[in-house]
Amino acid sequence: MGDDYPTLFRSEQMSLVQLYIPTEVAHDTVAGLGGLGNVQFKDLNPTVNPFQRSFVGEIRRTEEMARRVRFFESQIQKERDVVPIRPLDDSAPLVTVGPSAAHNIDELDVTLAEHETRLVQMNESYKTLSERTRELLEARHVLRETAVFFEKASLAETQQTDIRTSFDDSSAPLLQHDDREQQYSSTLQFDLEFVAGTIDRARISTFERVLWRVLRGNLYMNHTDIAEPFIDPGTGAETRKNVFIIFAHGDALLAKIRKVAESMGATLYPIDPNADKRSDSLREVTDRLEDLQTVLYNTGLSRRSALVTIGENLARWQDVVRKEKAVYETMNLFNYDVRRKTLVAEGWCPTRDMTMIQMALRHATEESGTSIVPILHELRTNKTPPTFTRTNKFTEGFQTIMDAYGIATYQEVNPGLFAIITFPFLFAVMFGDIGHGLILFFAALYMIFKEKQWAREELDEILGQFFYGRYIILLMGTFSVYTGLMYNDIFSKSLHIWHSGWEFPPSNGISFAVSTGHVYPFGLDPAWHAADNGLVFTNSYKMKMAIVLGVIHMTFALCLQLPNHIKFKRPLDIYANFIPQMIFLQSIFGYLALCILYKWSIDWSTRSTEPPSLLNMLIAMFLSPGTVEPQLYSGQGFVQVVLLLLALVCVPWMLCTKPYFQWKEMQNIRGQGYVGLGHRNGAPRESTDEVLEIEEEGNGRVIVEEMEEEHEQHDFSEVVIHQIIHTIEFCLGCISHTASYLRLWALSLAHAQLSEVLWSMTLEKVLGLSGVFGIIALVITGTFWFISTVFILCIMEAFTPLSFAKLEEKE
Amino acid sequence: MEGLFFNVNCGFLEGIVRGYKSGTLTQAHYASLTQCETLEDFKTQLSATDYGNFLANEPSPLSTATITDKATQILVDQFNFLRTNAVEPLSKFLDYITYAYMIDNVVLLITGTLHERDTHELLERCHPLGIFDTMPALCVATNVEELYQSVLVETPIAPYFRDCLSAADLDDLNIEIIRNTVYKAYLEDFYNYVSTLGSPTADVMQNILGFEADRRTINITINSFDTAELSKEQRAKLFPAIGRLFPAGNNILAKADDIDQVRQVCENVGEYRSFFDNSASAQNNGDLGDLGVAAQLEERFFRMEVHLNKLSFLQQFQYGVFYSYMKLKEQEIRNITWIAECIAQDARDRMHDFIPIF
Repeated sequence: MGDDYPTLFRSEQMSLVQLYIPTEVAHDTVAGLGGLGNVQFKDLNPTVNPFQRSFVGEIRRTEEMARRVRFFESQIQKERDVVPIRPLDDSAPLVTVGPSAAHNIDELDVTLAEHETRLVQMNESYKTLSERTRELLEARHVLRETAVFFEKASLAETQQTDIRTSFDDSSAPLLQHDDREQQYSSTLQFDLEFVAGTIDRARISTFERVLWRVLRGNLYMNHTDIAEPFIDPGTGAETRKNVFIIFAHGDALLAKIRKVAESMGATLYPIDPNADKRSDSLREVTDRLEDLQTVLYNTGLSRRSALVTIGENLARWQDVVRKEKAVYETMNLFNYDVRRKTLVAEGWCPTRDMTMIQMALRHATEESGTSIVPILHELRTNKTPPTFTRTNKFTEGFQTIMDAYGIATYQEVNPGLFAIITFPFLFAVMFGDIGHGLILFFAALYMIFKEKQWAREELDEILGQFFYGRYIILLMGTFSVYTGLMYNDIFSKSLHIWHSGWEFPPSNGISFAVSTGHVYPFGLDPAWHAADNGLVFTNSYKMKMAIVLGVIHMTFALCLQLPNHIKFKRPLDIYANFIPQMIFLQSIFGYLALCILYKWSIDWSTRSTEPPSLLNMLIAMFLSPGTVEPQLYSGQGFVQVVLLLLALVCVPWMLCTKPYFQWKEMQNIRGQGYVGLGHRNGAPRESTDEVLEIEEEGNGRVIVEEMEEEHEQHDFSEVVIHQIIHTIEFCLGCISHTASYLRLWALSLAHAQLSEVLWSMTLEKVLGLSGVFGIIALVITGTFWFISTVFILCIMEAFTPLSFAKLEEKE
Repeated sequence: MEGLFFNVNCGFLEGIVRGYKSGTLTQAHYASLTQCETLEDFKTQLSATDYGNFLANEPSPLSTATITDKATQILVDQFNFLRTNAVEPLSKFLDYITYAYMIDNVVLLITGTLHERDTHELLERCHPLGIFDTMPALCVATNVEELYQSVLVETPIAPYFRDCLSAADLDDLNIEIIRNTVYKAYLEDFYNYVSTLGSPTADVMQNILGFEADRRTINITINSFDTAELSKEQRAKLFPAIGRLFPAGNNILAKADDIDQVRQVCENVGEYRSFFDNSASAQNNGDLGDLGVAAQLEERFFRMEVHLNKLSFLQQFQYGVFYSYMKLKEQEIRNITWIAECIAQDARDRMHDFIPIF
């Protein structure tokens, strides 16, 4: 326990603890530890079915409660007017620990059940009422629509006009039509029988078709739309319906129509052909409708008030129910000792937090009002403890990114610490622009400013992610400003802070820059910006920089394994892995990086030779060792041959040394005749020890030695294969990673070009205009430019470097 | 060659269906399911499988019917997902699968109407995959002609009904004949359709459909032993003209009078030989009788069906997996229902009579 202060460098020290918890305080203890959140319990009965565990009954009960709470929630959500749900931190907490806990939970169970039955009852009565209202409404519609129809008919009859044109349905046969015509002319009453009702609009065409076929065309059907939709109170779904009226002749046919209509889900209403009776019933229906609607309104009101009461408590209930379920699920992991009425729990916790856990245990006992304290032991074990890295709100985001690539083994060096700087820096290399960097920076600053407020709210998915990574964005913005200064880029323009090292003497045609004698002190000379060969320059500059950065980053990442080897005392890994890997990397790519730096440091204009291409040099180093065409420095050929040989030697070195030494070690052990002996004798003795110690007294240190888990099969072939894979992976990885770092170059160029395009396409054209029009155009395009800058460059493009930077970090 | 472009249109869906398939319950799942004491345990146990918490929102006293309904609903949702994402010719193939359910629904409705059951209750019992728009109107029909003219004519299963228009009245026997005739037509049509799809699909599906046809043939034969109403010529007409027993076996079966003749026919086909293996000894022991044999036979048929459907997953680039998945999942739902029913009725000794799939 050397370091007392929690660091990100290595994961926390963990200890395996065993807890003896008396059954009476088990619930409160687990609840207390759950609040603390720093014990990871092990499943002590993995062979037991989920429903055969000790606390299934309780879990089932909480599940039932959870179902009720979900029911309330769905009811509240379905309510058309928003029912306020009081947030959790506003409501008084329900005490679920201590002596009154069981009572409280029972009470909650009863309350939930009561609320449910009440709500279900109210829903039902509301549903029947609204069902009846709907029927009456439909009846009224049917009455009205048919009235219109009948009126038209009588009008037509009095005018003696050609009914055929006004009423003829193309589907009605002529015979039927004549028949009806006679009917109309003979009396004002309708002798022709009919069926009227409502049906779902989607089904009307099917309905018509089926009827047509069933009755062989002997019908006359008319239908109109009902304008307003009907809303189902239970589901809130809208249905649109149509009023239909069907004329047909004969009882058999009418019975058939009724049957079809009913089976198709239509509702039929009795309508009288007599106009007076119709208006009578219309009046009656309207009256009844009014009454019903008052009742319905009142029912709805009381239902709503019930929902509001539920909404007051919903968050609290949800919280309690979830907690209870988690507590019992945790308790199901424990071993239940029936004889002593205790639960035995095992779990991992950070060694540093042991006192806190002890405190929590004592606190739980005090609260529950018993005198029996749960007992905590630390167990000695040779199992690998879980990795636990303590993070704060700043480091959390970085650690999460690193964890996405894999979690370091216990106590290994944690790359998350270095990612805090390297990740934003690599991002910034690609995103280098002062303006865009500032936008990111201020956006992150705003989020940090709003931190307290937003942390409590539920953010939507996208915003939530940005908020989670606010500190990453902050650093990315800052670093982008820095690299933007280096690149001398602000929204694709350059800054003139100091005197440029070059000036363009005025001339017509091609002008050549003339050196003014001083050197631009920081970043890229702005003169490059306008130069024709600016792109050529930045291109080669950024590419080489990407490689140099990549080699540095890779070397650094490689060095990270060194502390691990030293800490876990694996000198073999240093000699057999670390050193050859380092030599391999440095002799090829380290050498390339050196050459790049050397080439930069030489003033080629004063040299007699042309500057050599480093890319060709690297290729030639492999293809034709010994011969170098344009030499970078004298003796280059010899140096390169030596380096190449070094790299070649490293491959068998990596490949063979480790397996050989391991094989030799195994031989040694076998030679001393220890094979299996320790294994066979050790396990039972240890276990009897364990049992004995438990039997003797509770608080002795128990030694749990589980040999088989740690003892990996020392199968020699596996070691060899593992080493082969490792070697190949490293050698190829070196090459492919170096190539990957070229992304830094590509993306930073792409970014610069895109922002330049955005500038020249929008703002630049308008800046030349003058007068009022110019100002208006400037405002419009300026907004457009700004919006597109923010969206395209800062958000969309930020993702690309982000994901690539992530990839790079993997190394 | 078919493997070259298969994945362009159907690779996604095949992947999906194979993913669904890997979610079917295994032997270990069944082992733990059969240990359940109550339906609540059953629910807990199922929630650990791919069914997830499909019963989470059901109020507490569970019924086996709810479990079956919910499980079927999952299957229907999966099928609809596949169907909406499918393109020709797979979509047509999937449609063919639904026709079987349509036929079942039509027969159910007609029978129900005949016995004057409530229409809405009948509609609820219909399989959701076989529902079509005009289905409710089926209950007005009184004879087949009318049925066909008014409702079925616009459904895809209309052609299958054309052959049985002659049957005059609707009574129980006629409905049974209609069902079998229609099913025969359906199987033959499906069989022809898969033959047009070419090699791997046709190979796999012809095998499965052939067995399905043979199963129906044997069932019809056994069921018509003691009925005088169904003449032997009529019986012969109901046999699908596909399958391994066709034509020689079908001819013998058409004239068969007892179960021994059926057995002899099955002896001639290697795969079917096992159907009657033990039943012979059982019959010697005495009182099982034809009924017992038929019950046992039914189970063997199911086992055979499961076996054939499992085989279809061994081949790639073919549509058989979609059909097989539906059939396997149906069998799984039957198993779940069976176990749940055994738990509900406390018949632990019979609980293991389900047909394990994997």
